[in-house]
Amino acid sequence: MEETYLELYLDQCSAQDALTPSRSPLLSPAVPYDVDMLTSSNPETAFNPQLEEVTEASGSFSAVDLSFLPDELSQENKDQTVIRSKHEVEENCKTQSRQIRLPLPSQLDAGLALNSSSGSGSHSHLHPADGNSAQPSPEKPHSMPLASITPMTPMAPISECSGIVPQLQNIVSTVNLACKLDLKKIALHAKNAEYNPKRFAAVIMRIREPRTTALIFSSGKMVCTGAKSEEQSRLAARKYARVVQKLGFPARFLDFTIQNMVASCDVRFPISLEGLVLTHQQFSSYEPELFPGLIYRMVKPRIVLLIFVSGKVVLTGAKKRSDIYEAFENIYPILKGFKKA
Amino acid sequence: MPGRGRCPDCGSAELVEDSHYSQNQLVCSDCGCVVTEGILTTTFSDEGNLREVTYSRSTGENEQVSRSQQRGLRRVRDLCRVLQLPPTFEDTAVAYYQQAHQLAGIRTARLQKKEVLAGCCVLITCRQRNWPLTMGTICTLLYADLDVFSGTYMQIVKLLGLDVPSLCLVDLVKTYCSSFKLFEASPSVPAKYVEDKEKMLSRTLQLVELADETWLVTGRHPLPVITAATFLAWQSLRPSDRLTCSLARFCKLANVDLPYPASSRLQELLAVLLRMAEQLAWLQVLKLDKRSVVKHIGDLLQHRHMLVRKAFRDGTAEMGAGEKELQGQGQGQGLGDEDVGSSSLELPAGKRPSSPALLLPPCMLKPPKRVCPAPPVSMVTGDEDISDSEIEQYLRTPQEVRDFQKAQAARQAAQGTPNPP
Repeated sequence: MEETYLELYLDQCSAQDALTPSRSPLLSPAVPYDVDMLTSSNPETAFNPQLEEVTEASGSFSAVDLSFLPDELSQENKDQTVIRSKHEVEENCKTQSRQIRLPLPSQLDAGLALNSSSGSGSHSHLHPADGNSAQPSPEKPHSMPLASITPMTPMAPISECSGIVPQLQNIVSTVNLACKLDLKKIALHAKNAEYNPKRFAAVIMRIREPRTTALIFSSGKMVCTGAKSEEQSRLAARKYARVVQKLGFPARFLDFTIQNMVASCDVRFPISLEGLVLTHQQFSSYEPELFPGLIYRMVKPRIVLLIFVSGKVVLTGAKKRSDIYEAFENIYPILKGFKKA
Repeated sequence: MPGRGRCPDCGSAELVEDSHYSQNQLVCSDCGCVVTEGILTTTFSDEGNLREVTYSRSTGENEQVSRSQQRGLRRVRDLCRVLQLPPTFEDTAVAYYQQAHQLAGIRTARLQKKEVLAGCCVLITCRQRNWPLTMGTICTLLYADLDVFSGTYMQIVKLLGLDVPSLCLVDLVKTYCSSFKLFEASPSVPAKYVEDKEKMLSRTLQLVELADETWLVTGRHPLPVITAATFLAWQSLRPSDRLTCSLARFCKLANVDLPYPASSRLQELLAVLLRMAEQLAWLQVLKLDKRSVVKHIGDLLQHRHMLVRKAFRDGTAEMGAGEKELQGQGQGQGLGDEDVGSSSLELPAGKRPSSPALLLPPCMLKPPKRVCPAPPVSMVTGDEDISDSEIEQYLRTPQEVRDFQKAQAARQAAQGTPNPP
């Protein structure tokens, strides 16, 4: 009897997935968190009404942009990134995360296990505090993040998330075309190229879509800048490689790596930079005679943040999008502490 | 040494040439007897030209130190002396310079950078001992660009892992104000412009403190704020005679450079004072403007803490969730505008001029220069097909290539003969 409830719930989840493009059913179990946010007032409602709310929540869930998720993911990675992403991408969550009290029995299917260690330390509510039968076994191949389904009492509130998502502004990537290039020939045959050997030893090429700039060196190495997302950067780099190919060079597309990502956001309140540099002296550098912003070098993750008095924050130095989100979530509570002068 | 004679005392032939405080001597290495001496002085007029040799030059201390480092250390010492710093500062600065010279990146740097490095060491020493030295002063002394200086400064602080505290504003005010030449009458400074140093200092300090409280100092260069504050303090101490004097003329009189941002800081400070004046009943009726408010700066400063609290609503409450939160928090935050005598729990869009303004940095009060539209969420995967036509739009047709080559050749020819007959 209990299994039917579970299957019902899972069917609902997979129905939602039809709305969100290219998402596997395994990603849907993240929905409980969404439901959590929206229906936080009723933790004790019975399972059935909550199913309806789940479908309502699906609308808002599909509106969430998960395009940053990498294409190929191992099963476990998927769960972990989803859990992390869900928490990172939550919009305007003013309430604290709490557990849904679902009156499900403690016996679960063999195929279900808790993915309790989701990798991010702050989400401790995933760990079942009271040792119930749903033993967490992250090693199981088909582990699913169904922690919230087990009957648990609401845990202590976790710190609020900021509700602000930093927007990516620039991605710098490099790729190896693996062939020697004749820059003069490229500059002659390509309309969108400029080459001034006395000024710089590379061809500067631009394309319109995605709007990017590339530096192409005679060794065959190329730097692509200006894209607003990792996928756009990769697409742009491929287009440049195609242009070079069409010009008659045997260009390949090797070792595409993202070297740097820059993002910015606004916390919407003024920040006392003098106070911040006093308490976080070992990480901050604030020289108003040189630069109006405070340079905060975060150690984990290794990101540099430029914090301005208006509340605008620029994050740079990241190789992965998750680093940026993590850095911002780390800095937000610190900044909130310096709201007033 | 052979051929040089023998020691008169012990008869040994081992005579060594040695200098003792720049005086050449021939000394016997066996018994130490001085055989011959160089001449210490030649004539009476020559004596005036001789300088004493410092201890550090006569010992072998500098033989292990490279010449460029010696030069740098000398520069550091000279800078400390020019700036009239206490003697302990010199030792610390020299120690920093020596430490910096150990780093490979500094040892192989250009001479210009090593010059600037001397200034950086002095600046770091001063900052750590709360001696108010600005980067502008050091750059002027070094004849260096602020960009070069800032690069070297940031690099050395990071490499040496130093903890450099912020510039002490109070000390800077005292030093900077004292440099204004307004404290005694002179041909260029008429009597009505002369001011008492203590009074001006205390009022300037109060104005700078006010600027700090109202977000005018954070993120900005400290000096222009102090210039503006000094000007206002000076004007307010004798407004009837001094209101006619402009900021530029004031700086010329006082023999101080006018920093470019000082005039906008002045406007901001006056705006803050005007808002505060609106909270005082007897000033409200006067309908003050930017010039007349100067006369009342004394009163405003006397009650500045209370006035700031009343005149400005906490900006953070407004930025929060919405009306409800604002109204709920407003009561608790002393929004009270009791002087005006009407309900103050209204939105800032109220037309009454005395409704509390937001206490925010000026950059947040100005409307955004350009509205940045949220970028459209693109569902790019990075692996899409790239059409040939899209790539071809970026390539020149053979005809275009020929035309381009012709045009380039023509341009080269034209450049080759700059003065065609």
